[in-house]
Amino acid sequence: MSSSKDAPLSPRSQLALSCFEELLDCAVADVASECHRIARLGLDRSVDAEEEELRVWAARAAAAAAAGGDHHHHPGGGGAAEEGGSKGGVDVFGQTHPAIAADVVECMNCGRPVVAGRFAPHLEKCMGKGRRARTKITRSSTAGRTRSSNGSAATSYSPYTTTANPNRGSIPNGVTDGGSGGARGDYSNHAPEGC
Amino acid sequence: MRASINRPPTPSAEEDRDKEPSLREIINIKLVESGEKEKLMELLRERLVECSWKDEMKALCRAYARKKGRNNVTVDDLIHVITPKGRASVPDSVKAELLQRIRSFLMSTTLR
Repeated sequence: MSSSKDAPLSPRSQLALSCFEELLDCAVADVASECHRIARLGLDRSVDAEEEELRVWAARAAAAAAAGGDHHHHPGGGGAAEEGGSKGGVDVFGQTHPAIAADVVECMNCGRPVVAGRFAPHLEKCMGKGRRARTKITRSSTAGRTRSSNGSAATSYSPYTTTANPNRGSIPNGVTDGGSGGARGDYSNHAPEGC
Repeated sequence: MRASINRPPTPSAEEDRDKEPSLREIINIKLVESGEKEKLMELLRERLVECSWKDEMKALCRAYARKKGRNNVTVDDLIHVITPKGRASVPDSVKAELLQRIRSFLMSTTLR
């Protein structure tokens, strides 16, 4: 089947050819439209103006990371100049953070100031997570009493002992009339405050 | 849709139009109604991507956009840039395949 256009074509072949050319025109228009979109939206990375933008952006990120020091003219590199990932890099405000948190917080269990990056290991020891840690009560005394419980944490943590203030248990509103001791039987003091 | 693109009509079809204007239109309608035109379009697009014709055309467009400034290009510009080279660089195998399919469609719908 020769595809040369010089040979005289039958009407049907001419018809087929014109159909084909119409299809080709559609394909060409499709490609042109797509390229037009890419050009206008600036999606084509290899265009010179875009490389300029990328370099500016990369330089900004690098400058923030190096505290505006020596990385001033970092040559783009495909826009991947930032040290990938948010940890150890730059966040959206351009700030950097050290890998280990340096803030000092106060432990709510023992009240000591602890470095935040070391808080979890501290809590493990502080609250007595089980095997290795020790609480105030030494092992020998709790060995007999708290065999079933997992750790010795149960003994130091009992919110409902009878010697504590009974107001907590009986009156939900926390009405305190001087906080006197002794168990209260009647609920007459439980004045209905619109509850 | 065509009216919004300012370009002259395809010149090679002008000879046919004098002889049998309505047949061309009839065939076109049959192509569209049967869904064959859409299938042919899909086939053509697929073949043109496979033989990297589309990539060549995109490269031409990119070069043109870079030269002219990317905010100054219009769709018509790009079509004019691509069309001559595009028509010439379609591989013969692709063209033959499409023509074969069109011809068999014509034979099946009309007896001409």
